[in-house]
Amino acid sequence: MNYEIVLWSLISIPAISGLICIFAPSPKFALGIMCAGVFSAALLGLLAIEAVLLQGKILFAAADWLFMDALSAYNLFVMIIVFCLSSLYACIYFHEELLHNNLTLKQLRQFTSLWCGALAAMTLVLLSNNLGIMWVGIEATTLITAFLICIHVSRKSLEAMWKYILICSVGVAFAFMGTLLAAASAKGVGWGSYNALLWTTLRTNAISLNPMLIKAAFIFLLVGYGTKAGLAPLHSWLPDAHSQAPAPVSAIFSGFMLNAALYCIMRYVPIVETATGNTGWGLQFLVGFGIFSIVIAAAFIIFQKDVKRLLAYHSIEHLGIIALGFGLGGLGTFAALFHTFNHSLCKTLSFFAAGRLGQIFGGHDMENMSGSLPVSPVWGIGIFCSLLALIGIAPFSLFMSEFQLIKAAVDSQAWIVLSLFLLGAGIVFVGALGHAIPLAWGTNQKSYTPVTATYFEAFLVFAPLAVLLVLGLWMPKTFFTALNSAANIIGIVGSVAPSGVGR
Amino acid sequence: MDSTIEIMMILLLLSDMALLGLSRLRTCISIVSFQGMLLGLLALVTQLGSLTPRLIMIAAASFIIKGFVFPILLRRGIREAGTQHEIEPFVGYITSVIAGLAMLGVSLWLGTKLPLFAAGSGTSLIVPAALTTLFTGLFLIIARKNALNQCLGYIIMENGIYTFGIVSVVEIPLLVELGILLDVFVAVFVMGIAIYHINREFDHLDSDRLNVLKG
Repeated sequence: MNYEIVLWSLISIPAISGLICIFAPSPKFALGIMCAGVFSAALLGLLAIEAVLLQGKILFAAADWLFMDALSAYNLFVMIIVFCLSSLYACIYFHEELLHNNLTLKQLRQFTSLWCGALAAMTLVLLSNNLGIMWVGIEATTLITAFLICIHVSRKSLEAMWKYILICSVGVAFAFMGTLLAAASAKGVGWGSYNALLWTTLRTNAISLNPMLIKAAFIFLLVGYGTKAGLAPLHSWLPDAHSQAPAPVSAIFSGFMLNAALYCIMRYVPIVETATGNTGWGLQFLVGFGIFSIVIAAAFIIFQKDVKRLLAYHSIEHLGIIALGFGLGGLGTFAALFHTFNHSLCKTLSFFAAGRLGQIFGGHDMENMSGSLPVSPVWGIGIFCSLLALIGIAPFSLFMSEFQLIKAAVDSQAWIVLSLFLLGAGIVFVGALGHAIPLAWGTNQKSYTPVTATYFEAFLVFAPLAVLLVLGLWMPKTFFTALNSAANIIGIVGSVAPSGVGR
Repeated sequence: MDSTIEIMMILLLLSDMALLGLSRLRTCISIVSFQGMLLGLLALVTQLGSLTPRLIMIAAASFIIKGFVFPILLRRGIREAGTQHEIEPFVGYITSVIAGLAMLGVSLWLGTKLPLFAAGSGTSLIVPAALTTLFTGLFLIIARKNALNQCLGYIIMENGIYTFGIVSVVEIPLLVELGILLDVFVAVFVMGIAIYHINREFDHLDSDRLNVLKG
């Protein structure tokens, strides 16, 4: 099988369907093309992921500029799930808006084409072996998704979009400075221009990089990509953008875009660790950012009034947890990768529910939405259960990954980190539960007629919940092996397979 | 050749200081356009001995985009919005220039810390100048309220990084370099559209009055 073509089409199929969507003659056509593009890319993606994660290949394309190893395959898997679910949900969500004449064909064209473009850009980030192209991909996601926030142009959405584009562009510019410094650190080694930015080359020869320059590079990269990943204190754009964007967009923001930025940092971690002599110099920053994000998010979660802002702060908390896991290393890396999947799936579901309930109640203010369970049983269960899962209630898999993280912290005897994490998680638990219970069973001032949900909507709620529940109780062997091989790429120091394997 | 680069770096530093001290948006745009052309030339001057088509292409692209396309876009923004001056910035102009000098000091210190060039190669001003330009852009984004000024700050910041890129890493592949240029171009373009919408919706461009979303 020719995987070179597969990797190319993973990027080009969504890009082409995005272009077609610009000229869509009707809303149905636009949504249809969007779904067709997303699902055909997803199928091809699963094919490549199967080859990488189950057969242990490393795929290369475009003269080694594109590649897929276990880490990118795992992240691609998470992305495919988030995008497929969100695309299906977008059809329901925008169908509702079309029924109420809240949406024009022009807006829908804009949405569908940008949506496919965002998928192409994020795939480019995950597949690029060239760190410069990876940066181009991240910046492209910023620019493409900016207009997704203000599909409905209003004062609030414009404000959110301006903050998003300015803060993220500046942040990502810092990451570019970091990329340049990383390339400069390889200057003395004497590679040609071709190799200086290739991840596989840098990874294999990390020991010969200039440690001073690679340290400076990592600081810039952490601040830059950290801004895009929403790590506190660089998170100020995140609650605004998440709360103002339409629900499907919030779902991909939270479900995958933040992870994509964190993925870029993760690519640099093994390089920096090897170049600085495996002293944990880079990891300590990840721990610091992680803990700070958890504590800051915990403090803000208590006082939230808007359900989408509440979920946005949950994203900051969980990205903090993932960064903390990576920073702890060892079992922590495994836990962080597992948590990535759990959080993405759960957060996607919770934004679905929040968006749909927002349509039913006419706003995202939690006070006006109280007592949602009797009004819309399906989406009420969706928001309530996903909030429970997000705060780490036991049978759900988020509990399991957080538990593994605690074990990793105990193993490395990071007691201060552990106590701060438990403090933050405790505050979040109490704070979010205080929001979730009235949201489900509270008494509402106004009376709403109960809304029935289709089987399709019920599927979108119960399928993710079932997966989260099953993964919390039992992890399939293949999933475990896949997680392990992805974790090994970041964790264990050594050389990767030489380029050209698996062609 | 080194002295030409030195002069260019001094011009870059002077233009940074001017940008910090001026309030008229039109003049600021002209200076940023001058910076863009300067950097386009810098790419050629640093490699005068070994000019390749690749290098000329990059230099020409950035010369045209930064020197002409951005200014046209921004001037149109001014016309649409009808603003000429920054009104009451967060940080006054004299204070800004003093801050600029402080940033220059920090950059000179950082330049000695980063082992990018062999000692005595005569181009010791490049890294400080690049970092000062980067910090100037960042400072303008934070210290000015007008959305157009923030957009200018972003371009200046990018100029700083570009300077750094030319001299520290000569060998970035063409495709990557073009991708980066395209991204910056689209970024400014997207900001331009955003400014247009903000102006239409709010009737002003003061980003500190975009303050409904909190907490």
